[in-house]
Amino acid sequence: MQPSKELAKTIKTEVKLGPLTLKNPVLTASGTYGFGEEYAELCPVERLGGITLKGITPEPRLGNPVPRLAETPAGLLNSVGLENPGLKEFISSYLPKVRELPTAAIANISGFSVEDYVQMARALQKASGLAALEVNISCPNVKHGGMHFGTDPASAEQVIAAVKAETDLPVIAKLSPNVTSIVAMAQAAARGGADIISLINTLLGMSIDIEKQRPILANCVGGLSGPAVRPVAVRMVWEVSQAVDLPIIGMGGILTWQDAVEFLLAGASAVSIGTGNFVDPCAPLGILDGIEEYCQRHGVSAVSELTGRAWKKNH
Amino acid sequence: MLLEDAIITEHGGMGDPQYKIWRLVLKIEMTKEVKPGQFVHLKVSTGRDPLLRRPISIAGIDRDKQEITLLYRLKGKGTEVLTQAKPGEKLNLLGPLGQGFTVPQSGTLYLVAGGIGIFPLLPLAQEALALGVTVHLFWGGGNQSFLESAGLSFWQALDIAVEVSTLDGSMGVQGNVLDLLRKHELAESGRVAVCGPMPMMAAVSEFFKETNFEVEASLEERMGCGLGACLGCVCTLRDEQGKLRRGKVCKDGPVFRAKEVVWDAAL
Repeated sequence: MQPSKELAKTIKTEVKLGPLTLKNPVLTASGTYGFGEEYAELCPVERLGGITLKGITPEPRLGNPVPRLAETPAGLLNSVGLENPGLKEFISSYLPKVRELPTAAIANISGFSVEDYVQMARALQKASGLAALEVNISCPNVKHGGMHFGTDPASAEQVIAAVKAETDLPVIAKLSPNVTSIVAMAQAAARGGADIISLINTLLGMSIDIEKQRPILANCVGGLSGPAVRPVAVRMVWEVSQAVDLPIIGMGGILTWQDAVEFLLAGASAVSIGTGNFVDPCAPLGILDGIEEYCQRHGVSAVSELTGRAWKKNH
Repeated sequence: MLLEDAIITEHGGMGDPQYKIWRLVLKIEMTKEVKPGQFVHLKVSTGRDPLLRRPISIAGIDRDKQEITLLYRLKGKGTEVLTQAKPGEKLNLLGPLGQGFTVPQSGTLYLVAGGIGIFPLLPLAQEALALGVTVHLFWGGGNQSFLESAGLSFWQALDIAVEVSTLDGSMGVQGNVLDLLRKHELAESGRVAVCGPMPMMAAVSEFFKETNFEVEASLEERMGCGLGACLGCVCTLRDEQGKLRRGKVCKDGPVFRAKEVVWDAAL
């Protein structure tokens, strides 16, 4: 079903996530949208609420060997391993183009020590032309990687606080779902001074080639994304949004506008499309149109009014 | 590059069913843009399983009829679902994608294929022939029945030299395509386009190393976006200074200069 664009014109799509204002709630997720150029021919960048850039680290990284991808039922395992050009090259070669993007550009930073994060936070400020800084404390694909910071509340608080102290940009803490209590992690990020929480990163998973009798991914294990993880992500957004007083960017398996609305109702203020872009490079546009039409149909004048409608106290 | 719903004009098995080779002809708008060696990224189902698109190389371009031909082997869930698609139905297609082969303007072009690696080479042969290039095919397969099932007659219909090898000796030289190449007296210089399994392409690249032939290889890898954004399908390249870097098979390739490719998959 293609919702009518004409109908939805009166809906207010702008959303405020603490210090970050987005023209609409549909973002693209880090690692699925490069540095904003790859899809431009198919999906007009100016219509996106924002783009979260491919994760960067202080030094360049070649990432993991192939195979890096394995398809699973309604899902995708990846172990890219943070391949990226490094901070210096990002600033000299990519940032000049990124700052010209006609939408909010959010940098995503990963590190192996608090000092790594501090170094990148120091280099990326409002003057860089970025809209916000997403702190990846949840990458499952590198040894001793960000995920250590994402599974221990005290470490999470420490790294978020360190980043917050160095940058004047809004700080988004991207949480890992690979924890016993996602609420405890979100509370730690809040204590560290995070302005926004984004969740979920991928779920650690594995797939085995039964004929070769060995793991499909060269890295053996990888992060699961796609519709397969969506119910887990919705649950986590719902729990965190009721327990922590911070705006949330919800993601995990969003392919359609119905999926996106589910996240908003669960308590997200904005959504990110990741693996869905691989299936349909125009997915974010259809999702935005669909959200507007949904608002129209439900007599809601602003998308922001949908946030948390499925919270316990509201039903 | 376009995202379009392509209409299936023909679709069915090709040759002996044991080789599971299928031929799919699609009516599309972007035939003018298509270059030999490029591929399309097909959505094989409207559901969520299989989730990802499937990259398939373009094995035929008919600009007058605005059609492309795709040849593929039924291998897993994605291609199995694809075989169900019927003429008259539509398939969502993203393409044409990637960097294709260099089409030589003159001289000699050797095409070296291993198994179903033959598929993306036909459009290159046709374009080169039209420019007056001397084209020579070296193709290795398991046996005669496989070669016939994988389109040998298309090649025999062209005005080019066709040499084959079979592992069982049922046709041409017994052995693999390297055995075939070793028996051939090479021209002084020219271009080589190779497509097949990675170890075979590595061996062909090595074979031509000390010659005046420029070798291009078409690589294959599990793909995500097909646009160079997800970094799922990389290969490793070594520049002249010996520095390693990643190449995106979907965007920088699938065709790469063979001497730059690091064939050791462990890196």
